Amino acid sequence: MDTQHAVADTAPLEAHEDGVESRRDGSNKITLGPGDFLEGKLTYNGHVSVQGQGQAQGEFRITGNFEVGNGATVKALIEGSNVTIKGDVEGMLTARDKLTLGKSAKLNGDVTVKRLQIEDGASFNGHVRMGSFEQSSGS
Amino acid sequence: MTENETSVVMLGPRDRLIGELYIEGNLRVSGTLEGQIEATGDVDVTEAATVKATVAGREVNVSGQVNGAVTASKKLVIGRSGSIVGDVRVPRLIMQDGASLSGNVSMGPKVAAEFAQAAAAEAAAPVEVAAAPQSATDGETAQEKPKPKKR
Repeated sequence: MDTQHAVADTAPLEAHEDGVESRRDGSNKITLGPGDFLEGKLTYNGHVSVQGQGQAQGEFRITGNFEVGNGATVKALIEGSNVTIKGDVEGMLTARDKLTLGKSAKLNGDVTVKRLQIEDGASFNGHVRMGSFEQSSGS
Repeated sequence: MTENETSVVMLGPRDRLIGELYIEGNLRVSGTLEGQIEATGDVDVTEAATVKATVAGREVNVSGQVNGAVTASKKLVIGRSGSIVGDVRVPRLIMQDGASLSGNVSMGPKVAAEFAQAAAAEAAAPVEVAAAPQSATDGETAQEKPKPKKR
């Protein structure tokens, strides 16, 4: 599950094109761009962003924010602090802080969130659980 | 649809309705409401309101507390002070930051098509609109007459 980290170590820090960058403030970030595809289980200390036509599948448990851009497709179990969706997402989702569905968002799946914001135009089908987080890290 | 659709029913903060309500027009609730409500127009649930009922309307705005299923044929807006506990069925849903929602959400084009179909069916048979506005009245328990409550 640290394969992404390994990639980050071998790549130059400023290689934005590779989609992996380490910032000076210590927050790590993975960015998947058009044509990028990630499949598997990722436990990551940082932020993950899927942009453009990027695709991701599997299980993502991250400490930072998860972002799905317009046009991106994600089929996964997602756990993150702030989750922002503007693309297509299918799967269970947990936002320890806030889930935001943008106007182009399409979400299918059950969500557990502390706060939820839905913009006009977004599409959502699933169950919403808000508030308590007693079992967020248990499963 | 009909000329009396412009009617507006307002329930103030000290008002209470327990039972079943169907109105051709808009509804604005600031008080207590229990049972089942359906409006052909817009439904406004203000901050002061406590609603324990299934709510159906065209455009539903919730800034207060709603406990029950909510259906809107056009859209549902949950304001930052709004809270819904119950299943939601709407073509469009807007939820402001701070709003609270617990339940199943069904929305999107599929739901919109369903509402369009229902509207078309109603338009095709206008006689039935007044006769059977609540064809699915399976909740016989909510049949109590809305008589004034004695203390």
